[in-house]
Amino acid sequence: MCGISGIIDQKPVTRNLLTSIANLEYRGYDSCGMAMLNGKGIEVRKNTGGVEEVRSREKLDMMTGNLGIAHTRWATHGGVTTENAHPHLSQNGEFAIVHNGIISNYQKLRERLIGEGLEFRSTTDTEVFVNLVEEAFAQKNDVLGAFLEALKQIQGTYSIVLLSSHDPEHLYCVKQDSPLIIGLGEGCNYIGSDINAFLEHTRKAVVLDDGEFAVISRERYEISDVGKREEREKSILQIDWDTETTKKGGFSHYMIKEIFDEPQTARQALDVPQEQIKQLAEMFQNAPHAYLMGVGTTFFICQMAQYLFSSLSKKYFPAISSDEFNGVVPVSSGELVVAVSQSGETFDTKFSLNVAHEMGAKTAAIVNVMGSSISRMVDHVIMQGSGPEICVVSTKAALAQALLLLRTALELGYKEGCLDSKSFQSHQKELESFPELISILLNEKSGFMRNLARITSSVQNWIFLGCGIYYPVAMESALKMKEVTYLHAEGMPAGFLKHGTLSMIEESVHSLFFVPPPAEVDLHNRTIIAIEEIKTRGGTLVGLYFEGDSQAKSLLDHAVELPPVPSLIAPFVQMILAQMFAYYTALDLKRNIDKPRNLAKSVTVG
Amino acid sequence: MKAVILAANPSRRLSPFIEHRTKPMIRVAGGPILEYTLKSLHQAGFREILMVVNHEQEGIRAHFGSGDHLNLNLEYVVQESPKGIGNALWTCRSWLENEPFCLVYGDVLTDGNPFIPMLDAYSESGQDLALVTLPASSSEFGNVYLDPEMRISKLVEKPVEVQANYVFAGMFILHSEIFSLLEKNGQSMSGAFQSLIQDSVMKACLWEEGWIDIIYPWHILEANQLLMKSWDEARIDQSVELKGRVQIDGPVVIEEGVRIESGTVLKGPCFIGKNCYIGNNVLIRSHTALGPGSIVGYGCELKNSVVFGASDIGRLSFLGDSVLGENTQLGSGLTTVNHSPDYSPISCQIDGKKVQTGLAKLGAFIGDGVNLGARHTLPPACIIPVGKQIPDNITL
Repeated sequence: MCGISGIIDQKPVTRNLLTSIANLEYRGYDSCGMAMLNGKGIEVRKNTGGVEEVRSREKLDMMTGNLGIAHTRWATHGGVTTENAHPHLSQNGEFAIVHNGIISNYQKLRERLIGEGLEFRSTTDTEVFVNLVEEAFAQKNDVLGAFLEALKQIQGTYSIVLLSSHDPEHLYCVKQDSPLIIGLGEGCNYIGSDINAFLEHTRKAVVLDDGEFAVISRERYEISDVGKREEREKSILQIDWDTETTKKGGFSHYMIKEIFDEPQTARQALDVPQEQIKQLAEMFQNAPHAYLMGVGTTFFICQMAQYLFSSLSKKYFPAISSDEFNGVVPVSSGELVVAVSQSGETFDTKFSLNVAHEMGAKTAAIVNVMGSSISRMVDHVIMQGSGPEICVVSTKAALAQALLLLRTALELGYKEGCLDSKSFQSHQKELESFPELISILLNEKSGFMRNLARITSSVQNWIFLGCGIYYPVAMESALKMKEVTYLHAEGMPAGFLKHGTLSMIEESVHSLFFVPPPAEVDLHNRTIIAIEEIKTRGGTLVGLYFEGDSQAKSLLDHAVELPPVPSLIAPFVQMILAQMFAYYTALDLKRNIDKPRNLAKSVTVG
Repeated sequence: MKAVILAANPSRRLSPFIEHRTKPMIRVAGGPILEYTLKSLHQAGFREILMVVNHEQEGIRAHFGSGDHLNLNLEYVVQESPKGIGNALWTCRSWLENEPFCLVYGDVLTDGNPFIPMLDAYSESGQDLALVTLPASSSEFGNVYLDPEMRISKLVEKPVEVQANYVFAGMFILHSEIFSLLEKNGQSMSGAFQSLIQDSVMKACLWEEGWIDIIYPWHILEANQLLMKSWDEARIDQSVELKGRVQIDGPVVIEEGVRIESGTVLKGPCFIGKNCYIGNNVLIRSHTALGPGSIVGYGCELKNSVVFGASDIGRLSFLGDSVLGENTQLGSGLTTVNHSPDYSPISCQIDGKKVQTGLAKLGAFIGDGVNLGARHTLPPACIIPVGKQIPDNITL
């Protein structure tokens, strides 16, 4: 998914163009750029990174012109490089386009153009199209004619906006299976992937249908059918909704949208080719020492992985918080440092990776944002493919990271002979069923989590507790609670409690227990002991437990019972439900859920 | 876009308040439920509204007429016999002229305006849409399964096993294709929804604010609280006469022509309707709605109660967690006992069946036109049927 926009006005459009792609950034943010027409011809500035980053790096504010086009990209195929960023210029620099979609027959067209002596700057399908326009213009000497001629040659899905130095009075656009909408201003007109591109300026819009193109000037617009070239009458939409809600579909917040996205995110994490997992497992196998590194949520994901590697492949790889890494790990040549980062720009993680790299260590990373610094600097990267995560609080991306590390631990366990092929296969099967399972649980348990939150939303002090891998689950869930509700929530190992914290316990202090399935006898016993310690001291007990656990059921004051699931995936199920719990509690407390106070999505400063 | 409101169905479970009015005309926080729905529709931009009526339709017509006072164009259609929701909608098909429309069940109430996010979500997808929400219990409603694209992938009408999904909140945006689905499914609304979900696409729009479907009498109290909770200012009409020292705390709404005698305390949120009279030393506690034309005698206490209107509450009475119909006369010294001896949750006899209310405090439900003599004590969850005459409780 990408966001495109175009503006034609009587005054400079720089600032409005920038706002438009900033508003479209939720559609993708791994690279962006702008092209504007001024006295010197078409000027293009573009680079990798989010809008704010590219704006300051490329000094986008300094561009001038009364018409221009802009693009913000979310790469799904092909590298994230400055060359591949949009807008794309034709060979002679007289045409520039932005494009959302895929031109399916571009390879053949590209070969033909190369045969005719053209040199391409990028590997994109888009650059092929803009050169087709240039080629057609050489014969027709008419921008619209050339645009339509070029369109005849391409197949696929696209929405395209064209800017040409031969015509400072018009922008041209076309829509086929990717969204495009025209905004009607006073003496100016707008084009965008959706209304967010221009909602600050106009609420009057015309939606293009497939197979329609438009010629847009400052004062008017003309929409016609690509095939017949007949002008079409289109109705004008009056938009009366606000910018925020439009992007969320029927969801009230991105956080709950992204939680409901998790079955899909899990599927994508499971679809990452086994080859990439194997490669990471081999790196672990070959390194004398290996370390897992993340900060915030990703640190707790690393801690979960620490338990997974230990139980599945009998290996101990310490998890270290990125900000503390250099202070404690004397990393040396040949060792392995594996980093986890959603944005791939996390300052502390990047810094520690750099140091490790300088010391001669091997590096690997699990990253969500393609083309991000971390994804480019490591020896091996696994792209988790979770799609843009908008809510500042990480939910779906964290789950995908945990699943990828689980897959690596399974692979390593198999390589090391800790798992025979039968148990390896059966674990794989359990993983396969995971997306469907959580899809059902998210639906059938949402009301219970909502009611639990209703009962407990006035609680001021929380202690989140778990044993074994449920300990990092408790830590991560407590962090989620803190982030989004601003409440005091402390995570710790259940066995740690009696060594101090127990003195805090009284009725008003609530404990949330992550109770493992009873089949995990040792973990389960240890958890029950901690529950009883609190019960005896009159603390209030809340918990998530699995069906058939009569002990937990009788001890907990408020609880949600989960259906029996395989032990391997049980902690992940509880992690997801705890995300829901934090969300619903924040909802009752009327917090700024998607942008909690004081927090930013990607922490790029030290 | 046009909207259809279903306001025809009587519901025995709401007795003794349903005999003289239809559910949407039940008054909470000072107005009929339907009025809040209509105001929300207006705020979201709807102007053309059709109401399906039957049971006690005169009350609706008399109150709303052609909708002028709400700046709406209201029309009515009569559902000849109570044949269910599908049939009620069926009666609207010619009026809707094959355009997409908003369907609203008349007995649901929300805190905030759900039509605005519904229209936003609809503008984005253009597909049939249902508002869904998470109530305290999901067993009474259609439980839906959502996929990551916010499509409804499955609908379970009344789940047998315990589950707690998002449920239909009784508000939809539908295309006219729904009528062919109704036809195919013998005018069954749930059948039509099942077909829509299986063969086409139905999207969901989440409603995370307050929501209530009024099924049982105690839901009237919950609905009243739901609306009053969001009040944040006091509003007292200029014509109100406050005699001597009257204490007013918090968001208290007092309409025109009200007279309040000295020594009375009002704690918001509470509502005092037009032309009420409140005697000396009365305590009106929060979440009380006193309907128009009511009289409260000397030294009474009212707490979390809804009085529809035109009723007299005799001196030295306590009315707690109770609902009082219209034109009732309560003799002096009435006491509603509003909890069980051990404060355990109270159950209520509805239609001959015992129903758990889940509430630790609940008073009496007194129907329209009841005349209750002096000095009575009513047990928790007591229901006094419409028009009942009970003589004074004379001890000598």
